[in-house]
Amino acid sequence: MTQTTEDDRLLIEAAQADSARFVEIYERHVDRIYAFVSRRTENRAVAEDITSHVFEQALATIGRFEWRGLPVSVWLYRIASNAIADHWRERSRHSDEPVPDVPDPGEVEDIDRRIALYQEVERLPDLQRHVIRMRFAEEKSIREVAAALNRSEGAVKQLQLRALEKLRKSMGGHG
Amino acid sequence: MAERRLTDRLDETVDAILRRGDATGALRDRELAPLARVAADLRHYPSPDFKARLRAQLESQIERKPIMTTVAATPSVREGFSTVTPYIRVSQEGLVDFLTKVFDAEETFSGRGGGGGMHREVRIGDSMLMIGEGGVGSGSVMPIRPVAFHVFVKDVDATFERAVAAGAEPVGKPEDRHYGERSGFVRDAFGNYWFIATPLGPQSLANALRTVTPSLLLKDAAEYVEFLKRALGAIDEMRAPGPSGELRYGRVRIGDAALELGEGDPMPGSFMLYVADPDSWYHQAIAAGATSIMPLGDQPYGRVGGVQDMTGNQWFFSRPVTARS
Repeated sequence: MTQTTEDDRLLIEAAQADSARFVEIYERHVDRIYAFVSRRTENRAVAEDITSHVFEQALATIGRFEWRGLPVSVWLYRIASNAIADHWRERSRHSDEPVPDVPDPGEVEDIDRRIALYQEVERLPDLQRHVIRMRFAEEKSIREVAAALNRSEGAVKQLQLRALEKLRKSMGGHG
Repeated sequence: MAERRLTDRLDETVDAILRRGDATGALRDRELAPLARVAADLRHYPSPDFKARLRAQLESQIERKPIMTTVAATPSVREGFSTVTPYIRVSQEGLVDFLTKVFDAEETFSGRGGGGGMHREVRIGDSMLMIGEGGVGSGSVMPIRPVAFHVFVKDVDATFERAVAAGAEPVGKPEDRHYGERSGFVRDAFGNYWFIATPLGPQSLANALRTVTPSLLLKDAAEYVEFLKRALGAIDEMRAPGPSGELRYGRVRIGDAALELGEGDPMPGSFMLYVADPDSWYHQAIAAGATSIMPLGDQPYGRVGGVQDMTGNQWFFSRPVTARS
């Protein structure tokens, strides 16, 4: 058993004994599940709805969860893949394309890279981080970001460039 | 000049990624391509607000002990401060001098802020105010904008004259008011309003307030009181309705600090709350409908997170490193 799965086992047991500990499972896996879901859904609102469903479902069922030696992420991926399949069935699209229970190794690598990138965003200088959050997470235009930060549009474009250059550098050029 | 062009090309690429998920046009541009790949990965960057809201929802489902039964009675964890301290941002220096001349303010701290401006703290009677002068960087989360205060003094007439002599614009000369105060109103050079008052009798509000109390002017003040109760555990202490049923004057208490509010042209402000458990306050405010503007994090001066509510008021929750337990 790896350290990660042993940590997972202890955390699952802790959350089963005291559901308040479930928040730690959430914090540890939310970026991963969101990344998995957002690759397979059409927009941010749907990805957020399904990610919410995954963790609400996991919280509701953690008492019945039986430890079988697999990482917690596998359990969460399975809830997510079912929710994604339900979503597309409701939309009557892609019904003949089954959603994999868990991502393949290539996709895991891609998800890991994105999670590392998101962590690098948190390390950006304040203003650059605000620009990246507003531009990408809130999908604001340059004009809206400039107004919110009381900066010129040119200054915000410069901050966006500096932030992306810094992220590219910290990701080792593999952005 | 070349870099300026790159900023524009990059921005067009980011727009294309956000609108269509398409960065292929950028891949032929050697300078732009590596940045476009990073931008393409950021297209799915999860919103910190979403994550905070979901966490708050889960915590609510877990039925953790309601925090507001305890926090409302909790005093500030920063020595000398009440639970709520107004933070006034101004474009340049001058406000501290004004407060010193008019209200005998005593400066208790002054230091260079992270954004290059000055962070200053002053005491007026039993109240603290924080002032940010100039600067950029982290301070820009908090906009420069005027706010309003109710200040109790021994002699409103003399204080009013000092304020005008110090450059304030008279808004209302001192008069005896029906609510048990003799009050005069001024606006300082930065646009902040100061409602200066001397209590006249037992019906005065002075006993319920500190020397300086923030006055929140806003639309739908009655509804906002309900939000403050949900988000910050505010205790609804007083409501005086106007002729149309609107909240002409209200007072709430948060921890050991009072806030006044009433209908008016909105003048939102920024407030620092020194609390033992900033995480709980932050998540509770977001669950009540506020938006994160500063995710919780550990700074050299302590743990802090901030939210903005629907009226534009900003609430920063902080546990300083020197907090008493």
